[in-house]
Amino acid sequence: MELRLDPDLETFRTEVRAFIDSILPADMKERQRRKVANNAAVPDLLEWMRILHAHGRSVPHWPQEHGGCGWTPMQLFIFNEELYKADAPEFDWGGTHMLGPVLYTYGSDYLKDRFLPMIREGATMWAQGFSEPGSGSDLASLRTSAERVGDTYIVNGQKIWTSGAAHADWGFFLVRTDKTVKPQRGISFLIIKMDTPGITVRQIPQINGEAHLCEVFLDNVEVPADQLIGEPGMGWTYAKFLLEHERTTSSFIYWSKRELARAKDIALGERVGGRRVADDPAFRARFARAEADLLALEWSVLRVLAHEEFDAPEAAAASVLKIRGSELQQEVTMLQVDAMGAKSLRFFDAAPVPPPAPTDAWPDYAPGRTTVALINRAATIYGGSKQIQKNILAKLAFGI
Amino acid sequence: MDFAKSDIQAMLLDSAERLLSENADVEYWRHQRSSALGFDEARWAQFAELGWLALPVPEAAGGLDGTIEDIALLNIALGRALATEPYVSTVVLADHVLKQAADEAGSLELLGQIAGGTLRIALAHQENGAHPLDVEAGGTLARPSAGGYMLSGAKIMALDAPSAGQLIVSARMEGEEGTGLFLVPADAPGLSVESYALIDGTRASDIVLADVALPAGALLVGGNRGAAVLREAIDRASIALMAQAVGAMEAANKICGAYVQERKQFGAAIGSFQAIQHIMADNFVAAHQARSMLYHALANADQDQATRSAALSAARLVIGEAGQTVSRNGIQVHGGYGLTDEYAIGHYFRRLMCIEKQYGDLIQHGERFGDSIFG
Repeated sequence: MELRLDPDLETFRTEVRAFIDSILPADMKERQRRKVANNAAVPDLLEWMRILHAHGRSVPHWPQEHGGCGWTPMQLFIFNEELYKADAPEFDWGGTHMLGPVLYTYGSDYLKDRFLPMIREGATMWAQGFSEPGSGSDLASLRTSAERVGDTYIVNGQKIWTSGAAHADWGFFLVRTDKTVKPQRGISFLIIKMDTPGITVRQIPQINGEAHLCEVFLDNVEVPADQLIGEPGMGWTYAKFLLEHERTTSSFIYWSKRELARAKDIALGERVGGRRVADDPAFRARFARAEADLLALEWSVLRVLAHEEFDAPEAAAASVLKIRGSELQQEVTMLQVDAMGAKSLRFFDAAPVPPPAPTDAWPDYAPGRTTVALINRAATIYGGSKQIQKNILAKLAFGI
Repeated sequence: MDFAKSDIQAMLLDSAERLLSENADVEYWRHQRSSALGFDEARWAQFAELGWLALPVPEAAGGLDGTIEDIALLNIALGRALATEPYVSTVVLADHVLKQAADEAGSLELLGQIAGGTLRIALAHQENGAHPLDVEAGGTLARPSAGGYMLSGAKIMALDAPSAGQLIVSARMEGEEGTGLFLVPADAPGLSVESYALIDGTRASDIVLADVALPAGALLVGGNRGAAVLREAIDRASIALMAQAVGAMEAANKICGAYVQERKQFGAAIGSFQAIQHIMADNFVAAHQARSMLYHALANADQDQATRSAALSAARLVIGEAGQTVSRNGIQVHGGYGLTDEYAIGHYFRRLMCIEKQYGDLIQHGERFGDSIFG
């Protein structure tokens, strides 16, 4: 048992930090640091992918034959952590972390050759079309149908909560190709170009002023049959693979660590009655608890990455990460909000425009904290709600 | 980073499984609780035979020179079985002080006796009203006297003292700065001892020292280093206790998992109800995070004092609360049976409550961790 970090990894961290510092444009970093909403600045996101690609670092977690870096899980962990610390734009997760692994694992050579470079090079934004109005937690009940006619699938139905669909060039969809079999068996994984005739996208106004989540209506949309990934009827299996492949992503550990550091800055910057918020015993106790919980989450991620032998199915650890990761995302953002007291109530426009210039009363950390905290209620809902995760966990860990 | 067990660790866990699992039940615990010392001296002798009492002892004293990870793994097993032996007091805490003592030869002799199972030592440091994480001895005074020292003061709740042959007593040094750590025979003239049981069946003593005369050699660690050594020793005891808590939580979860499948109401196992499933999921998450934090504390165990103490307090915060979550929920899913002395869960509940409050409780560790963040 060796729990101390390998000293070579500290060298790696230093190198990675210098690398990111050398390629991340200062104006992009500043825009990202001061963005009001999570999903602002889409152009930055693709531009950053192109910069990373130029240095062979845009999909480090992929197999080397497809452009990956051949790093160990711990090296990937450090690279991601440093990206977040540096306020680099996010990955386009849909492409790099969801579709990509499904494609290179199950896709035909045609699909791999066509789409993997697009993802890797930051050429396209991707939308994920899984949920439907009647199929949230009960995803397998989805009804959007794809009927094979010659070399084409005719797609009809409706998707919802499709993040970024309004800006996406392409989407990957779960569709029903067979209504006669068990629900999970009749689902297929289909790539669809978002400007195909018959697709209508409606942006949904959110409680934080953004409209990033979308509804996607599909009305007799014709999709070339060779855009179906793998075998028809295997879509459910691929979707499960996708979720299991990225077992530690749902922890949001890098994001929450960075945002807790920001919560600390706010607590040190804000004063109430002449006293720093950081010196309020109740606030300090809550902050300490969140930081301790985040350390526990980080070690839980490391345990998964190191494949610790475990007295329960490995998937149980993934549900733990999802539950604690989502709860802590919420707690960390609420610490930021609560540290600002009533000042947190000011509405800031979530559009990708520069926020107001900072003043003494409204430092540059003020715009955006509440915008993010409001929409972070989603963290315990998407990707398998907290209650679904608890059902899964009870079954995996205790057989009940 | 590697979670695989070393050979010595695999051996320890194997021997723990063999010795402890047959006596990890309510009947055994109740029997021990009613015995004179709260544990079985014959099993203590087996601890010695298995090398457990020699684990942190240097090879020079016939020990195994084990690491803090080795100690933690063994304590997970002790916690799982709710062992009431004074392992932490003697083998973790006292050993650490002895290893730092000025008289090396004398200490090796004592460490050898501990390893052999013939000597147990308890710490008498806590005083009524003092902060549990304060390592300065406020009210106990050591006055220089002819050929040695005279100790006077009052200690409270010296854990495992009733079964100890010697005590390590902390005292303020008259005429100089700092805290000295003294070795005091448990039967020294001038000591008056009142012993009692804790709710988990372990024992403790309140000790009054009235002009206890000690030879100069009784001063194990002098005033300039006493507080620092005591802090290290208490931090190590905390790690061992946290490991016991992790073992206890994991065992409690297993017991509850089995119980909710067996217990039927409304014609179905209560584990088939979502309300119960979610409680069990919460318990699994809590115990899992607790083990993660034990690793965090271990990974920082050899860091400088500030880093180590911060990591340790963060771990105590998560583990202390997880222990309460797991065992309180555990009682809840047992219904009325959880409140009886005849079901294991109530024994785990009491043990986890004791661990949460020893060597600093949730509030005190929360404060210390908060201070480490904001200064």
